[in-house]
Amino acid sequence: MRIQRFIYILLFLGVAACQKPVDYSQVITDGQYLSEAQDRITEVIIHDIFSPPVAARIYSYASLAAYEVAAATDPSYESLLGQLKGSEKTSFQVPQDVYPPLASLAAYYHTGTALIFSEDMVNAHRDAAFEKLREKGIPDDVFDASVEFGKQVGDAILAYSKKDNYHESRSFPKYTVTNLPGTWEPTPPAYMEGIEPHWRTIRTYVIDSAAQFKVSPPPPFSTDPSSEFYKLAYGVYEAVNKANKEELDIAMFWDCNPYKMNVKGHVMFAEKKITPGGHWMSIAAIASKTANADWKKTAEAFALTGISLHDAFVACWDEKYRSILIRPETYINQYIDEEWVPVLQTPPFPEHTSGHSVASTAAAYTLTQLFGEDFHFVDSSEVNYGLPIREYDSFMEASAEAAISRFYGGIHYMPAIEEGVWQGKKVGELIWSRITTKPQNLAENK
Amino acid sequence: MTGNRFSEIICLSLGLLLLFSCKKEESNPKLFELLSPEQTGVTFENRLESTDSMNILEYLYFYNGGGVAAGDINNDGLVDLFFSGNQVPSKLYLNKGNLQFEDISESAGISEMGGWSNGVTFADVNGDGFLDLYVSQVSGYKGIEGKNRLWINQGNLTFKEKGEEYGVDFKGFGTHAAFLDYDRDGDLDLYLLNHGVKSPEVFTKSENRFIPYEGGDKLLKNLSAQGENRFEDATQESGIYSSILGFGLGVAVEDFNHDGWPDIYVSNDFTENDYLYLNQQDGTFKESLEDWIANTSRYSMGNDVADLNGDGLPEIFTTDMLPEDPEIWMKSVGEDKVEVYQIKKQFNYADQYVRNNLQLNQGQRGFSEISLYSGVYASDWSWSPLLWDMDNDGLVDIHITNGIVKRPNDLDFIQYSQEADPQMTLSELRKRQIEMLPSVKLPNYAFQNSGDLQFNSVAEEWGLDHPSYSNGSTFTDLDNDGDLELIINNLDQIAFIYQNHSEQTGNHFLRVNLSSSEFNAFGIGAEVTLFASGNKFRQRLNTSRGFQSGTSTTLVFGLGQIEKIDSIQVLWPEGEREIFGQSQTDTTLTLLKGTGKTIEENIGNQKPDYFPAINWVHAEKTEIRESDREYLLPRSYASEGPAIAVGDVNGDGLKDLYLGGAKGQSGEIHLQLPDGNFRKVDNPIFDQLAKAEDVNALFADMNGDGHLDLYVGSGGNEEQQGNLFLFDRIFFGDGTGAFRFSPNSLPPLGENTSVIAPTDVNQDGAIDLFIGASNVPGDYGAEPKSYLLINNGRGQFQEQTQTWFGENIPFGMVNDARWADLNGDGIEELVLVGEWQGVRVFTKNEDKYEEKTLAGLENSSGWIQSILVQDINRDGLLDILTGNLGLNSKLKASKEKPVILFHADFDQNTKAEPLIFHYMGEKLVPFVTRDDLIKQIPGIKKLHSSYQEYAKIQKPEDLFSKEVLEKAEVKKAVEFRSGAYLQKPDGSFEFVPFPWEQQLSPIVSMLWDEATKILYLGGNFSGYRVDLGKNNGQSISALKWSNGNWEPVQLEPTLSLQAEIRQIVAIEEQILAAMNDGPVFSVKVSKE
Repeated sequence: MRIQRFIYILLFLGVAACQKPVDYSQVITDGQYLSEAQDRITEVIIHDIFSPPVAARIYSYASLAAYEVAAATDPSYESLLGQLKGSEKTSFQVPQDVYPPLASLAAYYHTGTALIFSEDMVNAHRDAAFEKLREKGIPDDVFDASVEFGKQVGDAILAYSKKDNYHESRSFPKYTVTNLPGTWEPTPPAYMEGIEPHWRTIRTYVIDSAAQFKVSPPPPFSTDPSSEFYKLAYGVYEAVNKANKEELDIAMFWDCNPYKMNVKGHVMFAEKKITPGGHWMSIAAIASKTANADWKKTAEAFALTGISLHDAFVACWDEKYRSILIRPETYINQYIDEEWVPVLQTPPFPEHTSGHSVASTAAAYTLTQLFGEDFHFVDSSEVNYGLPIREYDSFMEASAEAAISRFYGGIHYMPAIEEGVWQGKKVGELIWSRITTKPQNLAENK
Repeated sequence: MTGNRFSEIICLSLGLLLLFSCKKEESNPKLFELLSPEQTGVTFENRLESTDSMNILEYLYFYNGGGVAAGDINNDGLVDLFFSGNQVPSKLYLNKGNLQFEDISESAGISEMGGWSNGVTFADVNGDGFLDLYVSQVSGYKGIEGKNRLWINQGNLTFKEKGEEYGVDFKGFGTHAAFLDYDRDGDLDLYLLNHGVKSPEVFTKSENRFIPYEGGDKLLKNLSAQGENRFEDATQESGIYSSILGFGLGVAVEDFNHDGWPDIYVSNDFTENDYLYLNQQDGTFKESLEDWIANTSRYSMGNDVADLNGDGLPEIFTTDMLPEDPEIWMKSVGEDKVEVYQIKKQFNYADQYVRNNLQLNQGQRGFSEISLYSGVYASDWSWSPLLWDMDNDGLVDIHITNGIVKRPNDLDFIQYSQEADPQMTLSELRKRQIEMLPSVKLPNYAFQNSGDLQFNSVAEEWGLDHPSYSNGSTFTDLDNDGDLELIINNLDQIAFIYQNHSEQTGNHFLRVNLSSSEFNAFGIGAEVTLFASGNKFRQRLNTSRGFQSGTSTTLVFGLGQIEKIDSIQVLWPEGEREIFGQSQTDTTLTLLKGTGKTIEENIGNQKPDYFPAINWVHAEKTEIRESDREYLLPRSYASEGPAIAVGDVNGDGLKDLYLGGAKGQSGEIHLQLPDGNFRKVDNPIFDQLAKAEDVNALFADMNGDGHLDLYVGSGGNEEQQGNLFLFDRIFFGDGTGAFRFSPNSLPPLGENTSVIAPTDVNQDGAIDLFIGASNVPGDYGAEPKSYLLINNGRGQFQEQTQTWFGENIPFGMVNDARWADLNGDGIEELVLVGEWQGVRVFTKNEDKYEEKTLAGLENSSGWIQSILVQDINRDGLLDILTGNLGLNSKLKASKEKPVILFHADFDQNTKAEPLIFHYMGEKLVPFVTRDDLIKQIPGIKKLHSSYQEYAKIQKPEDLFSKEVLEKAEVKKAVEFRSGAYLQKPDGSFEFVPFPWEQQLSPIVSMLWDEATKILYLGGNFSGYRVDLGKNNGQSISALKWSNGNWEPVQLEPTLSLQAEIRQIVAIEEQILAAMNDGPVFSVKVSKE
């Protein structure tokens, strides 16, 4: 009985040993797996309630990790480590039997998971994806080595992330409302504290300092109906009151509010959507797919979009907590119409500049450089959140719409949008001029 | 055979067991017995159906349920019942005797009512001697048609609706109504309690309460006495607020200020304050809540008022929604976050906390909110409180209904429930949302008064623990046996009728009916006081009580062992006061107006004005919000001032003062004049140093020139440790009242100074100082630096802490200290107290001080604010008095169940966090919420992914790993009572706490007057975290030790209970009490 079993085992082993090695090189070609992983990270960011600036930080490090595997395994890509502020040029030793796209995916999961809270939600997704890939015939040793290498790159990115002052900033003082006329104060219905008052102290990737692209300050605060400020507020008031369907659709489409509190008497519940950064990371995925980009180009698009978003948020937040400007909702309720409610729920931070304007413009600029100016795409980012699709003929068209949507939504005055667009473009331009994913001529470097 | 035997035995045993348990049941019936509907015939059930068009999202009070009113409609001596229904028809039940009822809704004519009925009350509106019925309804909303209804009793068990004819057919959102004769013209006027539905979550300025709104509360004046059977709207001219801000859920009528006129208390849900309307005796009311009451419930629901402590003054009880079960508590919405709280303060709303509030009426001094002391603050989502003597033992107990079918305050629902699903339509989405709201059915609460205003939870013991969603409730003697039955209107469950078996306790009772003049035949609004064996039992006849409900017109007094009533006083609603003579107990009296002996009582009880003693007012100024720097900080250190020092600085034999101001306010020297007044001495140096916040001060001759010098300690907690503005300062006096700054006298001591304790440590004839520090700014729980300063004789001090105390002595968070020769060996000990530490004694051993643990002081650790060392019992041994947190706090400590502080850098980001754990029942749980913790330590989200998870914490190890906790500094508090540690001849100490009245607030300062042996105590502190709440239950009081007990000493004038006393000093005969952010008062012992 025993001998029989032994023979079966031998036979089985023999058969296995005799099998031809599988060609698994085409198991992952495009960025589909990476995009799905990003979708999962997006869901968890929403679930865990990360604010827009923090969300952009998470996307940027996770994407950077995925990209660095590409750069380490393909000489036609240049590592960003050493180019980004505070990073050091790193030569990863790539083991022989690594399957780069899998390693890149593993790096993404590994880094992303470390930056969110609900790890189980990501791990389950990762395990399912890995299981699927295993079934497609990636040998165990290759699989394990790839995941291991991905982790190694991810750990390097995480080590880099640890020095960006984020961790320390969790214990920095909360924002103290001053009650000075014209300054920001918490808004209904949740009256949340000002989010991330010290975000300017978070390390940027490329821009020299948070204040490098200082925008024009908002016009002086005044409650005089003939003042410029009053007129700006009145402009928002009128825009909302007279908004047509298209404008309302635009406002809703770009709402991107990760934490909208609904209140009905004693009943409260938070409804959550993707953040502005999440929306643009999704556009990066849509663009990659539309352009039939391979996994490397997809990782590149993610990384550069993430970096652009992060620097955009730091620049924007620097201004927000410099001017600490009162929101239209507060102003209008106090000086124009006590019962007025904006179309969108006012997010919990000062008004100037519009984060969506800065981040969208910076991301759109970067995506334009990567995929071209006339790039038609169908933006389905919000379908999962019950909103329709919208189509655009260029990234800049989309970002311009995202910017103006805040005016239609009643949460920003016009200068925050105009200045925000300017600021975002500056951030995008600087990033594109300072860092590159294309290997430079050695001679040039010397 | 064997098998049969066995089964026989088993049968027998089972039988015996059953028999036994039955017997046990019979011999030990619980105080209350739930009667079955079959028994009573009462099958009313307020069934609700949540539909697409009508549900909790469409109507915010969808689950508020119905009320129940008790009244004898046919004057047959049997009290009948009326239940209001929301979606089901309301029902009228006729009491047939023997606790059996007949549904006569149909024949009585009230079945045609329809609509959504809320509050109900009986009163004889037209003075025909029959109780009429008033029903508040919802109307004109989401297809609900209705209006408030007045059903006039036809005297033959039928009713006719005459609301329109009488002008009381209000259309809107009626919650309840109360009848009262506010103008004492003999007829019953009507207060309409209504609620809004519009965006209660949006804070608007509180001044909007002055803007009338058609759906707001109303006061309707009955014109019967003027010859017309109708009401007219008197809302505006009477000063009643009728605005959109009101979400009225409870109305009570009582004479709160004891002037003989009916006042009104209104509890409002959401942001709006509750209202305390004091009757101005001229047809108007003055809303006076904030003058009389420090804080209220936040989501105030129903309320009730009655005298709980037998002093003749009515207390106020309001319900809220705080859960008692720690697991439910930790996953439910709690207090406002500090930033939200501040916004409400900015809009000028009063302090409100999510818990039941019990306002103890202290007469002219106002109310002390004592729910935390009394133990009645948490009863989950509560509706109807009723204050009545449930067991006839002579003490008034509290019953509270609770329950909400769908719990909207579940944090997981709020934060995590909504997953986007593009496939769902909006109505499907809403339906799913409602379905996802959790349901928890809990028993109602019964609190037995155990004396001293403390209550025990006895619902189970008394047989009142049936799980239910209960709303309105009433009590009345349904079977005329002298105790009160309890009737409760439930949602989706047949109404409860609990029979009271107090008749079996042997307790005595007296039932009183009133009979009065034409219009108010039942004497509604009359006050009846029984005097018996030195006790006072006072009730006021109100037919609107609790939540949307009403009691009958028969008053039942539980009397315990009292068998005879000495006299009965009735204050009739029209103002006449009559005395009725002796009475037996266990009977029913009918007191007819005009048959008693008329008496006059002079009650000129206006709230007195206070005349400050000195022309100086402390002006607190805090520019940083400490919680922004330290989110988990349990208390503020920014309001410790003023500083005050007493001494004769100009040598004229009269004591003078230094008054130290807050940040930006100069200190001032005030010289006493021979006539007892004070004159300020200008001094530019004090102006120049105004930026420092003075929190303590001391006069002493420090440079040996024979003139008093001044030491000023700085605090305020706004600056970082070591900051210039935290430096203490010394000023040399020249004997004329002038002082000169001596910057080189002190090393740079940049701490929040809490105490300056002078003594001559090295016996060189010059005064040395122990300087205590309370906390490290920005790092609560860390060790601040306290100092020993040695004087070189010329008023220059050198720090010699190490020399005398050794290296790194952990003095802890010091709040107060005294030098005293405790053991009588001629050498003074240093005795210090503080937060998270007990009374600590350092004795001098040759040239070193060593800490000594004295027997009896081992378990004194608390949050001690102040200390005195005096021989209070005149036995020749020094005793130690401690002013502690007191008992009127959410934090409860004992040796077995301490409050524990863990101080560590839990998230390893170089900043430490203070985490307080306290016991709730048997569980040791974090005091702060998951949300608060996440703000400081985001990684908590990783460890406890949901509120449900977090709520499972039962010990610190469930929150953080053992390894992490082991690295923490751990401090404990085991005693929060203020009191005296009396020294015994063997040198050990025995703790004698102060009376309960002195435990109603933290004792911040104390003064012992050796001449009169009177102890003056100054209390109150409003700087606790929002979730601890301000603690302003007792401002200043005085005690005298006599025959082994503390006896209260009355002071005059009576200071407001809300004054936050920081310093008490004696100047000749005067006692000066200095309050934070306010004036310095002068009080003295009352001659009476």
